[in-house]
Amino acid sequence: MNNIQKPVVSSNSELQLEVAVLMIECLNLEITADQIDPDAPLYGEGLGLDSIDVLEVALVVSKRYGMQLRADSADNQYTFSSLRSLADYIAAQRTR
Amino acid sequence: MTSQANSAQHAAWAHAPERSNLLLLRIMVWVSMRLGRRASRVVLYGIAAYFLLFAPGSRHASEDYLRRALGREPRWRDVYRHFFTFATTIHDRIYLVNRRFDLFDFEVHGEEAMRRLLASGKGLILLGAHLGSFEVIRAIGWKHADLRVAMVMHQGNAQKIMAALAAINPRAAQDIIGMGHVDSMLQVRERLDDGTVVGLLADRTPGGEALRPARILGADANLPVGPFRMAAMLQRPVVFMTGLYLGGNRYVIHFDTLADFSAVAREQRNAAVDAAITRYAELLDQYCRKAPYNWFNFFEFWKSATIVEKKAS
Repeated sequence: MNNIQKPVVSSNSELQLEVAVLMIECLNLEITADQIDPDAPLYGEGLGLDSIDVLEVALVVSKRYGMQLRADSADNQYTFSSLRSLADYIAAQRTR
Repeated sequence: MTSQANSAQHAAWAHAPERSNLLLLRIMVWVSMRLGRRASRVVLYGIAAYFLLFAPGSRHASEDYLRRALGREPRWRDVYRHFFTFATTIHDRIYLVNRRFDLFDFEVHGEEAMRRLLASGKGLILLGAHLGSFEVIRAIGWKHADLRVAMVMHQGNAQKIMAALAAINPRAAQDIIGMGHVDSMLQVRERLDDGTVVGLLADRTPGGEALRPARILGADANLPVGPFRMAAMLQRPVVFMTGLYLGGNRYVIHFDTLADFSAVAREQRNAAVDAAITRYAELLDQYCRKAPYNWFNFFEFWKSATIVEKKAS
């Protein structure tokens, strides 16, 4: 996690909020978007998502922002490490 | 609440002490390949007897299950036969992994329907259970070289199985997708996209996952929701498979179409998942009655099971 380079484009809080809302909607989470700490881990401890949840988020996010998330990407661990890193990734990769 | 408690009980199997190790496995493999199936089966009588005498937890679980499946009080011979059937499927795995399909008599049902679904090119999710042998899929794959299978497993199991397979036949290492990675499910999707059959056993979870009660053999048991949710989300067809051991060298392999999530929209997903779990439970019920000694969940599977408390009264 430490060695992986951060994307060059970083997200703003507006995009983070948008992604948070998207996640809450698709996973039916019983929290509000501002309750998600942008730096708390999404997977396992923290928000407590499992790998099926992560898949759902990946599917929704890739559709919404027109990008592909691939399994062989070494960045996945980092991308899904927090709301901030996911939003950063989207900011860097989005096509719409 | 209760579902969490049950989930913890459900997870007990995951922490059960290992009764075998790789050295023992290597010896067993060597003896099995050297002496042949018939002669090396002698060992299985000993293993079944050992479990009958020295594994009270497994014995009580067997009795609890057999009472439901047979509809009568199980005798010690039934329990012995149950353990023996389990030992046989494990033993036969050695031959299946070494592609000695010639040793067995396979009867196959429902393969055509499965192949028609696979022909769509979007892959297929094959759900099994700890019921009979899932390894017999190798025999099907061998008949038709085009059938590629990847197994989804929990990480700890995945490593153990890989090590075991390497001990049995280094060239037989199967495609295994370990759960518990952030991108496990992305891997599953990619394998399906290239037309691979992705197999998993959907009757257990190592705990901490969502469970849903379903009726099997007249009582509620908790089944994990995850495998069905995954299939629904990926919008794939789902086929059930079991390879039931019938005695001697005979197996009967059943493929049953279970659900097709290809055209299920998000809004209908939950209902479709529920229907699929119900259908899965019905299939388990049906095959448990048909071949009762093939059920290999030797722990408290039913919610109403009172295996542990039994000693008190």
